[in-house]
Amino acid sequence: MTGPHVWRNVARLTLLVIVASFVLAPLWATVMGGFKTNAEIRTAAFAVPEAFNIEFYGAILSDPAFWRYLGNSMLISSAAVILTLIVGSAAAYVFAQIKFFGSNFLFSYLLLGLMFPFATAILPLFIKIRDIGLLDTYWAVILPQTAFGLSLAILLFRTFFAQLPKELFEAAYIDGCGYVRFFIMFTLPLSTPILATVGVFVFVQSWNNFLLPLVVLNSREVFTWPLGMMQYRGEYVTQWNQTLAFVTLSLVPAVVFFLAAQKYIVAGLTGGAVKG
Amino acid sequence: MAEVRLENVTKSFGKLTVIPDISLTVPDKSFTVLVGPSGCGKSTLLRLIAGLERPTSGTIRIGGDDVTDDEPSKRGISMVFQSYALYPHMSVARNIDFGLRISNMPTEEREKRLAEAARILALEDYLDRKPSELSGGQRQRVAIGRSIVRNPKVFLFDEPLSNLDAALRTQMRVELAELHHSIDSTMIYVTHDQVEAMTLADQIVVMNKGRIEQIGSPMDLYDTPASVFVAGFIGSPKMNLLPGKALGRPDIATVGIRPEDLEVTENDGWDTKARVVETLGSDTIAYVRVEDVGEMTVRLPGHIRLKDGDRLKLRADPERQHHFDEDGRRIERTDV
Repeated sequence: MTGPHVWRNVARLTLLVIVASFVLAPLWATVMGGFKTNAEIRTAAFAVPEAFNIEFYGAILSDPAFWRYLGNSMLISSAAVILTLIVGSAAAYVFAQIKFFGSNFLFSYLLLGLMFPFATAILPLFIKIRDIGLLDTYWAVILPQTAFGLSLAILLFRTFFAQLPKELFEAAYIDGCGYVRFFIMFTLPLSTPILATVGVFVFVQSWNNFLLPLVVLNSREVFTWPLGMMQYRGEYVTQWNQTLAFVTLSLVPAVVFFLAAQKYIVAGLTGGAVKG
Repeated sequence: MAEVRLENVTKSFGKLTVIPDISLTVPDKSFTVLVGPSGCGKSTLLRLIAGLERPTSGTIRIGGDDVTDDEPSKRGISMVFQSYALYPHMSVARNIDFGLRISNMPTEEREKRLAEAARILALEDYLDRKPSELSGGQRQRVAIGRSIVRNPKVFLFDEPLSNLDAALRTQMRVELAELHHSIDSTMIYVTHDQVEAMTLADQIVVMNKGRIEQIGSPMDLYDTPASVFVAGFIGSPKMNLLPGKALGRPDIATVGIRPEDLEVTENDGWDTKARVVETLGSDTIAYVRVEDVGEMTVRLPGHIRLKDGDRLKLRADPERQHHFDEDGRRIERTDV
């Protein structure tokens, strides 16, 4: 290795470490904060704890409310993912496969959703949900989250579906396979990479959503974890160590879900369909 | 009976007319090859027969039945695609019997047909593999297997060999010819390769710009091309097409002389100079320039060894010349 190469690698490494630290430092502080006393957090937020107090983690884990919040979040996020995948892929399949009058217009209309900020919609959304009578139910969170996730999902699905070789459908069509059966037997199994990608995206977004549950959920029975976390914020004092321990434990399912889906987020499943 | 008959079929995509008006009969049990340059409408014609496209007007009959508005799966046809179009997530066996499963065929019958197809195509050892684990030739055989099991009245092939390398292509060509002998169905085959057309076909349909230029047996087309286009398309190397004026026949627009109908002479004939010589072993092909006439290709026996720049005298057998009028149509010769 010559001089310039060494310096280029050092520079690259430095840059990567700086970028990574922006992500990792808050995570580190969060995980470690759960072991510290409140006083210690205030004086040395990023330091290694003087003593690892596991009582805060223990308190959270033994609190049935925590498990209920987690369960609610899990239910809501899973339902949002499943609904988004079903509705989004079916809609995208139509856009990718069938040319019909107004399809471009309709597609552009759906894409407009990408530009629509969630916060702007929150008031009309609340009124609608109240009128329909869904306030304080899981559906109040699931349905809007699905609706807002659809734009991106349809965009990504359509692009992916359109790349599947056209002959594949024609061959199946000659074999007697119609549009619906092709969708279930070919499009979906061949699209696991994009299904996993969109699934992770929707899940994480739903899991971390704070504003919507805050507005539409009132009773503790149906609280999601970001709302549950608020119970440690008192009027005068905030239990930072408990909050951080709570956040750390709540992050786990999202990370696990990501790791599980990660292995499907690899393209190349279509290998061998056409000459390759 | 599985005669395929197209009656006044036209096809337009928006304002673009791909097939102006075609009537064509493909006899039962024949191997008919549709051949022509890219964009001549031959693939569109095949897709019309398959039912993947609907004709703008006209009627398509298979075995006497009007199938113009039928679904592909109801027409008794099967199709092999240029890109194979195998189902990547299914095993070879599932790929082959997929159509049979869709149509809810009894398991016993289905397995019998699968085994039979695998035997014919020598795929028995690969039935559990995925398409991505197969070589190009094996993939093509799976695609053919998918066609065979459906027991179709008509096989359609859309340039099935063009993705294979030259050696494999020759081998698959022989296998296809054998297949046709053994299963005795009507086969319609699209290609732009005139060698495939000449070797496989009972009947060749030469197409150009959406129209049929000529229909006939391979040797009909070779011996009596109906137009300048067919003359130039059938035969390799290409027929020499020269202006009649340059050959002292001002009454004829174009004179066609096949490279193999030129012979080397001692004294009379054209004085030529070889620009490029290709020595193939069995043949020697020389691209020569003839003063006042133009460029010519000549095919000589392999024992005649030439170098670039050599001079040689050439004579064309007058019996084997082809004459064409201004519109490029053949003039039947009365002078010999």
